[in-house]
Amino acid sequence: MSTTTITVEDLTFRYPGSDDPVLRNANVTIDSKNVTAIIGGNGSGKTTLCKAFNGLIPHFFNGAFEGTVTVGDTVTTESDVSALSRTVGYVFQDFENQLVQPIVLDDVAFAPKNHGLEDYRTRAMEALTTVGLEDAADRFIWELSGGQQHLVALAGVLAMDPEFIIVDEPAAQLDPHNARKTYDRLREIQRNSDVGVIVIEHHTEFIADYCDRLVMVADGGVAWTEPVDVGLNRVDELLDADIHPPQVTQIARDLPDGDGTLPNGRYPVTVGEAVGAFPTDTSERSHRATPDGRGSAERLINVCDVTHGYPTLREGRKTVLDGFDLELYAGNRVALVGANGTGKSTLLRLLTGLESPDHGTVTVLGDDTNDTLPEELAEETVYIHQNPEEMFVEETVREDIAYYLRSRDAPEIDERVENVVEFLNLETIADRDGRLLSIGQQRRASLAIGLATDPTIVLLDEPTGSLDLESRREVTQMLSRSASKTETIVIATHDLQLVAEWADRVVVLGPDGILADETPRSVFERPELLDRAHLRPPQVVELSDRLGVDPLSLTTAEIVDRLRTEGVQ
Amino acid sequence: MGYLDAIRDITIADIKVDLMRTAYDNEDALLNKFDPRVVLIWSAVFVIVPWFFYEPAPLFAMLVASLLLAYLSQTSIYLLGLLIWGSLSNIGFIVLVSSVVYWWQGGSGGLRGAVVDNSVALLPFTMKLTVISVVSLAAFSAMSPKKLAKGMLSLGVPRPLTFAIAYGYRMMPVLLEEYHDLVNSLRLRNKPPESSGLLRWRYYLYLLKLSIKAFYPMAFNVAKRSRVTVEAMETKGFSHSLGDEASRELRLGDLEVMPRDVTFMLVSLLFVIVVAVFL
Repeated sequence: MSTTTITVEDLTFRYPGSDDPVLRNANVTIDSKNVTAIIGGNGSGKTTLCKAFNGLIPHFFNGAFEGTVTVGDTVTTESDVSALSRTVGYVFQDFENQLVQPIVLDDVAFAPKNHGLEDYRTRAMEALTTVGLEDAADRFIWELSGGQQHLVALAGVLAMDPEFIIVDEPAAQLDPHNARKTYDRLREIQRNSDVGVIVIEHHTEFIADYCDRLVMVADGGVAWTEPVDVGLNRVDELLDADIHPPQVTQIARDLPDGDGTLPNGRYPVTVGEAVGAFPTDTSERSHRATPDGRGSAERLINVCDVTHGYPTLREGRKTVLDGFDLELYAGNRVALVGANGTGKSTLLRLLTGLESPDHGTVTVLGDDTNDTLPEELAEETVYIHQNPEEMFVEETVREDIAYYLRSRDAPEIDERVENVVEFLNLETIADRDGRLLSIGQQRRASLAIGLATDPTIVLLDEPTGSLDLESRREVTQMLSRSASKTETIVIATHDLQLVAEWADRVVVLGPDGILADETPRSVFERPELLDRAHLRPPQVVELSDRLGVDPLSLTTAEIVDRLRTEGVQ
Repeated sequence: MGYLDAIRDITIADIKVDLMRTAYDNEDALLNKFDPRVVLIWSAVFVIVPWFFYEPAPLFAMLVASLLLAYLSQTSIYLLGLLIWGSLSNIGFIVLVSSVVYWWQGGSGGLRGAVVDNSVALLPFTMKLTVISVVSLAAFSAMSPKKLAKGMLSLGVPRPLTFAIAYGYRMMPVLLEEYHDLVNSLRLRNKPPESSGLLRWRYYLYLLKLSIKAFYPMAFNVAKRSRVTVEAMETKGFSHSLGDEASRELRLGDLEVMPRDVTFMLVSLLFVIVVAVFL
């Protein structure tokens, strides 16, 4: 197949009803022989730029449009969305809502059928095979996991045989394991069929591993286009746009005397590059056993011989936890990690009393959840939903925070709400409708709703899921702060960077129960364990493992310190 | 208070799965094997037929037949129960009121006699209502969404409407889950009534209030979802397909009335004739 090019010349676009243009004189050329990443801060116009490629702008959003966008030989203003979409496929960030038919095969065949293509069935099957879902063709969309649904959306785009695929923030809605699988597919598709792949991405570590070119969007224009390894070296500009360069690049920059640079003078962008460049510590490795977080402290939660499952449509009752035991103590900062379906969320719901175990007992602060209403347990235990949207039932965040207190006629409600709002720096969003906030703001607000109840135990399901790095940092900070107000916090997460920075006890769940229950450091020292749990250590851990740093460094500051002192020797 | 949340929670989950099975697991359902147009026309016919019968015997035969059909079409026991309970309680109420009025005005035979008389008088009507509800429930829940949409499209129902049916099937489980989450989220932040009263009626009233309150945020979230859906539909060429003849043909191409569809229709009509002549 020959190369197709998207050319954007002097593009200016203003959304209807807004005063300022989102894009101002943007110019860029993207061709189909690369995997191209588009980065930029929030609101910089990345998504708007990409929606100009398939004609959604200006045909669907009729704002003020100037300049020209050309895809191959077609000028977008002279075509329409459905025609352009045959050349430029778009996988939305919110891909779940892109799937409109009940059955997988029908959804993938939807676009070819709409265009009256007779070979729609072959196209759909081929597309499903490309993404590795040929066995799921007859299943219902809602039966699939998030990762599989994303692949169905991708297949739906591939079925039209496009020349470009745009994927909007694949890593935002998928857990890291699935995001990597998606990127593997995307790269394979690009290499095998010369279809241009364009991703909008915040996570520079994915960009370094999978992309060829990097387009930086800033202030409504395209600031620069570079090969990925060169682009990611423009560390200051990235940081200015709230984009964090890969951990190894940051470490390299923090090392003195250019110790961390590659022979060509650049900073490394992948762990592989960094291992060659960084000063190594050759001292003998000795994995020390570390205490597992169980102290002499008071026991708050006791899960005893619990078996629990749920009924499914096709496979009868599915058991998630089987003969499961766990004790949690005061002062713990517990992270529950493990692959999807190992029972992390189920365990949290059992602790709230919303579900009662099929067998066994769950005791929270002395109350057996079988005999206590969830409403009563909620007086001491707070559960923060994985999807913060489900926590907003009032018209302002402030009202939502006050909801629990009002339902219990607590004294001095306004004052207490005000305290929480201040404590978590939510003044700017407190009077807005929670459901209209960005996901990062929603997470912070949902944490506030929880903390307003003065809980002893806080349970959080994926608190850093789908967050950009800035919001992620804010949420992590909030978690550290909340620790001063509560006895114990339990987090179910895929985010090992959060685990490394925050937890003091990690419970790794596998398909048959607990795989490990240790400190983060000792878990990170066992790569085979992480692998079994579908987890990938943060770059800094991987790097210190490969460099032989012992004990492992869990944060960038730690490793810079170590390499500084030992690398000099 | 000994709460039996465990049992209640299991039933909620079980009911959910049972409903889903009715709506989605149509593989073996009898009515799903026929051409959707035939099934639609068939159900239209059988919604009317019972009204031509006035004797309890033939109506009872039809009721049995329709229940058998519902069973073969894997209709949810909960839905059937709800439907039958609905018509029985409705009629029962009429019987009760009319009997009390009759007795009040000094009719002969006393209250018990009035109840018996009125029940017998209303029995055919009850059975007619039940037959048509069971038949339509069986037909609509047995057909897979794809078949249903196809059948309606070919019978001249506009495409946006048939699309909405398929889309409804796509979204229903998601919404069900979201609704359940919202109710739970409300429960964790509310205070149940301190004394739950006779048969815990206060507690159930409280749950009912929460279930109603949870609808508003759900409606809001649905509106939010549809923004992306509308954009995506545009990229998938939906509006292009509306006027496109080739696309319509692809959609309806494999619809075909087979001998077994005709047999099904004939057997049903034969059954009605037999019932009409012999009972």
